[in-house]
Amino acid sequence: MKLGFRIALRFLKSNKGQTLLIILGIAIGVSVQIFIGSLIQGLQKGLIDKTIGTSSQITISSQDGNLNTKDYEEFIEVIRKEDREMEAISVALDNAALMDYKENSQSLLVRGFELNVADGIYDIFDRIVEGTYPKNDNEIILGIDLKEEYDMALQEEVTINTAEQKVHSFKVVGFFDFKVSSLNTGWGITTLQTAQNIFATGDVISSIELQLKEDSVFLADEIAENIKKDINREDIKIVNWKEQNESLLSGLQGQSISSYMIQVFVMISVVLGIASVLAITVIQKSKQIGILKAMGIRNVSSSYIFLFEGLILGFFGAILGIVLGLGLSFAFTKFALNPDGTPVIDLYINYSFIMISGIIALLASAFAAMIPAAKSSRLNPIDIIRNN
Amino acid sequence: MSKILELRNVNKIYGTEIKNQVLYDINLSFEEGSFNSIIGQSGSGKSTLLNIIGTLDKATSGDVYIEGRDIKKMSINQLADYRNKTIGFVFQFHYLLPEFTALENVLMPYRIQNGKVSKEIVRKAEEIMNLVGLEKVKNNMATKMSGGQQQRTAIARALINNPRIILADEPTGNLDSDSTETIYELLRNINEEYKTTFLIITHDRRIAEKADRIVEIKDGKINLDIKK
Repeated sequence: MKLGFRIALRFLKSNKGQTLLIILGIAIGVSVQIFIGSLIQGLQKGLIDKTIGTSSQITISSQDGNLNTKDYEEFIEVIRKEDREMEAISVALDNAALMDYKENSQSLLVRGFELNVADGIYDIFDRIVEGTYPKNDNEIILGIDLKEEYDMALQEEVTINTAEQKVHSFKVVGFFDFKVSSLNTGWGITTLQTAQNIFATGDVISSIELQLKEDSVFLADEIAENIKKDINREDIKIVNWKEQNESLLSGLQGQSISSYMIQVFVMISVVLGIASVLAITVIQKSKQIGILKAMGIRNVSSSYIFLFEGLILGFFGAILGIVLGLGLSFAFTKFALNPDGTPVIDLYINYSFIMISGIIALLASAFAAMIPAAKSSRLNPIDIIRNN
Repeated sequence: MSKILELRNVNKIYGTEIKNQVLYDINLSFEEGSFNSIIGQSGSGKSTLLNIIGTLDKATSGDVYIEGRDIKKMSINQLADYRNKTIGFVFQFHYLLPEFTALENVLMPYRIQNGKVSKEIVRKAEEIMNLVGLEKVKNNMATKMSGGQQQRTAIARALINNPRIILADEPTGNLDSDSTETIYELLRNINEEYKTTFLIITHDRRIAEKADRIVEIKDGKINLDIKK
């Protein structure tokens, strides 16, 4: 085996131009693989972050109205016992109301949160672009779109009319921007305490909202199903983001599949490239193989030569490919920019994906070398000696 | 002296549809330590005979015994090992590996057998190379040497594993007469010193006459067999 490696190395060194060309060929395949893979993973991650990253991924609510304290504390206990840890568990009391500001009227979903906890899901504190968050009773924050539409200012008063015809005065302490217009015009966020007071509901909530850890986002349906089983109550409704966003999900899946397809075809072309070049090298080196066989090298050892050639080429090709692929990805985030200067797609470096790409290239190279290796093993020295 | 090589009724036919018989019922044996020459016109079958003895080619029928062993009963790997340890080949065209230096080429049969190369064996390779007059070019690439130097490298390579038999197919075929003379002197010395059996194909009658025995092959048959 050592001899096979030695001879392989020497063969490759003796024809540097050809060797570099093959390594470059493999490297370009690997770099395209890494670039496209990273791009699509970054795209997906960005998309998930933007769409469901700051919203409830599993929502537990009652079929008919609100959940009382006893119930929801029990449910939260159940959720905490799940196998998968949650990123955040938050409770919310939501009620529709009408907001009056000067002469304007606006329907509003008043959401009462425990803000410190809800921040884990909605990133509320980071979303506040002006002012602060509601700390005391009857403080509210509104969307930036409302502010612009009605030309509002901080510390101004708005009135909230509940469905029970009760009127409450609120102080606007901040404006948020969720980057989604329907939320920026339709939500008013206050404390859970305030919401419970003005809607006179007592100690109840309307839903428990969950955010999953990043690696289990796509398991939302399974997790929701488990929670449902554990809670085991007919009147409780559990929805997960996957059923709420079917079109997004199919879009993401389509993207994944197309990414896999591209990667598979890139890999096939790399394998074919290596196999054909190595097949030619066997012919180029058939004289040497014949001489070695006449000198008594065993068939197995002679096939190791090409196996090692494949592995050496694959190894250097993979390394160069990883460097090129990362370079390409970095360049893409530097040159493909939004008008505001931020990259169109955030770079997502997944080390295990890169490692796997490299290893696949290495294995593909070894696999591609099998054919020439077998050919070399079958080569009969007499054909070389006689035909000179 | 014992027989190191024996051929019994060896026939060789090339081709399956159009048959071309090259060797007809060859019966020959060679004694250990002898220096034999095989002569004959081109196409007479002498190279085929040598390739069959060297186990590179297979007889269509008949038996070949080397050191008393029937080579038909040996596996592919056993044959490879046998070629490596027992036989040294010197071909008309040197057949060096162009990717390696002269010294590395000489060491190659040893590497095939043992994998690693010790200091002693390198010293031995250098001694053999000195013997054949290659001390100045031992680190040259195989391609960066003259024809005579390449052929002498091939001889040194054939000697490295102390083979009991050396098969040489026109080892001086493309050399000038001075080099030819030197190389034959060299082979003869090795024969005398190490008791290596030599089978040398040549069509240089002057050279053939210096051997202990001359076998002439004509149209695939033994035409002459002169022992001195």
